[in-house]
Amino acid sequence: MSTGTTGDRKSAVLQGTLDLMVLKTLESMGSLHGYAIARRIEQVSAGSLAMNQGTIYPALLRLEQRGWIKGAWGLSEAKRRARFYSLTRIGKKRIERETQDWERIAATMSRFLEPSN
Amino acid sequence: MQWMRILFSRCAAFFRRGRLDREFEEELRAHIDLATAENCARGMSPGEARSAALRSFGGLTPIREDYRARRGLPWLDQAARDVRLALRGLRKSPGFTLTALLTLAFGIGAVTSVFSVVDAVLLKPFAFPDPQRLLVLREAVDDSSAGHAAIPVNYRHFLRIKQQSHAIEDAAIFHQRGVSVFAEGEHPQIVGCVTASPNLFHVLGVEPILGRGFTESDARKGAARVVLLSYSAWQSFFAGDPDAIGKQLRLGGEPSIVIGVLPAGLKFPHIALAPKIPFAETASGAQLFQPLIPSDLDLKADMGNFNYRAIARLTPGATLAQASAELNALQESYSLSAHLPFRFGIALTPLAQDVASGVSGALWLLFAAVAAVLLIACVNLASLQLARAVNAERQTAVCAALGAGRLQLLQSRLAESLLLALAGGAAGAALAFAGVRLFLAFVPASVPRIDEVRVNIPVLLFAAGISILSAFAFGALPALRSLRVHPVSALHSIRIANTRHALAARNLMVSIQVACTIVLLIVTSLALRSFSHLMRQARGFETSHVTLAQVDLFAPQYGDNRGDAAKALRSQVIDRLLSALGQLPGVRSAAVTSVAPLTGETWVDNLFRPDHPVTPGKEPAVNVRWIDPAYLPTLHIPLLAGRNLAPSDRAAPAVALISERTARDGFPGENPIGHVIVNLIPGDSRPIRIVGIVADGRINGLKDDARMVYLPYWAYPPYTLSFLVRSSRPSDAIAPDIRRAIWHADPQLAIPALKSMDDQVSDSVATDRFQATLLASFGIAALLLALLGIYGVLAYSVSLRTQEFGVRIALGSGKRALVRLVLYQAARPVFFGTFAGLLAAAVLLRSLRSLFYRPPSFDSLAIGASVVLLLLAATLAAILPARRAASVDPIRALRID
Repeated sequence: MSTGTTGDRKSAVLQGTLDLMVLKTLESMGSLHGYAIARRIEQVSAGSLAMNQGTIYPALLRLEQRGWIKGAWGLSEAKRRARFYSLTRIGKKRIERETQDWERIAATMSRFLEPSN
Repeated sequence: MQWMRILFSRCAAFFRRGRLDREFEEELRAHIDLATAENCARGMSPGEARSAALRSFGGLTPIREDYRARRGLPWLDQAARDVRLALRGLRKSPGFTLTALLTLAFGIGAVTSVFSVVDAVLLKPFAFPDPQRLLVLREAVDDSSAGHAAIPVNYRHFLRIKQQSHAIEDAAIFHQRGVSVFAEGEHPQIVGCVTASPNLFHVLGVEPILGRGFTESDARKGAARVVLLSYSAWQSFFAGDPDAIGKQLRLGGEPSIVIGVLPAGLKFPHIALAPKIPFAETASGAQLFQPLIPSDLDLKADMGNFNYRAIARLTPGATLAQASAELNALQESYSLSAHLPFRFGIALTPLAQDVASGVSGALWLLFAAVAAVLLIACVNLASLQLARAVNAERQTAVCAALGAGRLQLLQSRLAESLLLALAGGAAGAALAFAGVRLFLAFVPASVPRIDEVRVNIPVLLFAAGISILSAFAFGALPALRSLRVHPVSALHSIRIANTRHALAARNLMVSIQVACTIVLLIVTSLALRSFSHLMRQARGFETSHVTLAQVDLFAPQYGDNRGDAAKALRSQVIDRLLSALGQLPGVRSAAVTSVAPLTGETWVDNLFRPDHPVTPGKEPAVNVRWIDPAYLPTLHIPLLAGRNLAPSDRAAPAVALISERTARDGFPGENPIGHVIVNLIPGDSRPIRIVGIVADGRINGLKDDARMVYLPYWAYPPYTLSFLVRSSRPSDAIAPDIRRAIWHADPQLAIPALKSMDDQVSDSVATDRFQATLLASFGIAALLLALLGIYGVLAYSVSLRTQEFGVRIALGSGKRALVRLVLYQAARPVFFGTFAGLLAAAVLLRSLRSLFYRPPSFDSLAIGASVVLLLLAATLAAILPARRAASVDPIRALRID
């Protein structure tokens, strides 16, 4: 598994972002299907993210494999069968840590980006 | 922990991949539908709404692939696909598949069979706790003729060492011989018996499963005779009865009380008395164990009675070198302070190494030989695979052009080889069960631990390992070659581009094959020559029409403690037996000797000459044999000078015969006849007059012409007797008569062996014969494989060059020229391989020489014969393809494509 973790680490920042966005979305909105999650992220980011909606699915799979979210089939408002995702207990606990991690990275980055004089 | 959860989830997904695929498709459809519906609600037309939904989703296919790669076990998917493809490919070429499978099955089967023997005899540790701490302990002396020689142990020396050493935690002393077991109303049976100091099983770390072990009081003088049974002895003498404890077993005529039973797994190791004395135990392995009650002589003698074997256990943490240094220092200081004529030392050998010392070289050689045969077989398969890879080149190029990764291509080409090797290996492992049985039918029983040989888990693991290794050996090169295929070549219609490269690789393979075969052939011919030399050289005695009957006189009435009365009784029974055997129908002469011929050097003593004393300890060592006057004529051993023993010598003072070598070394430049020697008869220091000189013979072993001294049996009637009966009837016919005659004289006599002397000769060289036979069969296998290999390469290259040959013929090239062309092509790798093989053999033979009996330093015949044989085979293999090349029809050849 060591190769897997180094692979993850290479793109950790990017992946982490999307994962955290999904987690936060589910935290605030409760149970959502994939399309709704993608739309919510687009709305919140207000178009500043150039993201294909499809990339949400590998991220959802990743989170599901870790046991942070779980999926179940249900019906949408338009009575369309869709898979709804919600946070698990582990996921709820993880959000706090992931948030702290991200804030630390963001703070570090912004220190680099501040004018140095 | 997280990775475990992910792995678990992936594994679970792998097995539900069909359903998960459908669910994911459903989820994607839902996504697009929901997006489309929302777009419609915003006022787009249905068509617009759908295409906008797809656009913002991004590519469906990349997402699907990404998703799948993360979800299950993609490499397993790939592997399953490769296996399916490989199976399809193999089904399409059944000829190749069958050849490969058979070659691998027999190759791996043979290697596995030999390995199972190597494993049991050489590698498997003994089933004692901490077996690596067990050592065989012997004394060592500086022998003027043989350098530093290890000899059996003296009881006093042993006791002192054991008490004073710190590096040795404990040590046990023992001797081992066949003992007769009497059952009511039956003739006695000879069973291996170890008589040991009571701590033997403490040293080994073994506890009886029933009853008790030995105690110190069992070894006190006058203690009741007790015996510990091995598990199999318990089964055979008491049918596994738990009430056997306390019952009696008559050993050597005297009742012994059974005190315990040892575990079934206990195999008492075969420890030779001294490295020079081959293991010649009459009974198979030790079955009975008795406590050693030391005799007065054992406790007194410092310079004699070197009769014992000893096994020691290192103190935890001590090394062999430390123990060796400490014990040698102890021995040396004692030799000095006690003014012994020798400076004694100690020779320590790890138990496993000591037990295997006689056979490890031969076994490793066999293993190397069979591995070489497998290697040659793998080279053959590699060259076949290479041909298939070249044929499949266009397919490979198409795959590459369609975007298959290099690793994927490599993997799918290797999959085929792995599949073949694993199937062949499984068949080989199955064959090994039969192979081991075949092996055990031929292997000499004297090989230690041979009864432990079986196909077990480590052996099967070895078979699996060797299969995978062979897959890489024959699959890697062709697979790597497929990487070189350029995608563009898929577009070319004729695939000649790579053939020259392929041919070079195949020529290299032929060279490797030829080199291996040459080495194997030379080693084989050396073994055969050495064996035939061993069998055909002059022995100095004649065995045909002679039958050997061994008789033991280990019974109370013949025993030591009765002194002269027992001696007279032994003498009488020998007289009776000689006359009874001599009167059997068809018997020309019957003789007796104290040691069966060809059982090695035993009863070794020093030749003391009162008229010509030498430095103590520098006297020549001689083998003492007790014989009767008929011994020389029965074995046709020539008398060179003086006279034979005669019945009239009985009344006169003792006389002796000596062999040529004894005369040469003990009486240099003198005529020994009439000279006197002393101290050879136990308990008798009167002079012995030499009356005759007999020719040297290899009577102790075909490899060995030791110094001999023959004394008349009546001077000291031996306990072990070997009667030699020369008769006009074959051994099979006369053996029952001999047995009847012996038991008629005394029904309580044990007969450990009864066979023809020819069988005795052949049994004595069983290990050499086994090695020569096996090497010869491996050599033949290698030669056949090389022949096939050369044929395969040439036939294939001729088929590739059909067009070229057609052109040559059309342009007026003669048939002879074409044959020459093909032969020339074959000659280069063959000559190169021969040369390389000769070089390798020159290096290897230097270290292998010690494994054979008197190999010549440069055996031009063996080497020449091997080279000629190989070249003949190579020519044979080349002629068929060459003739095919010459008979190419130019019109048809040019019409191809």
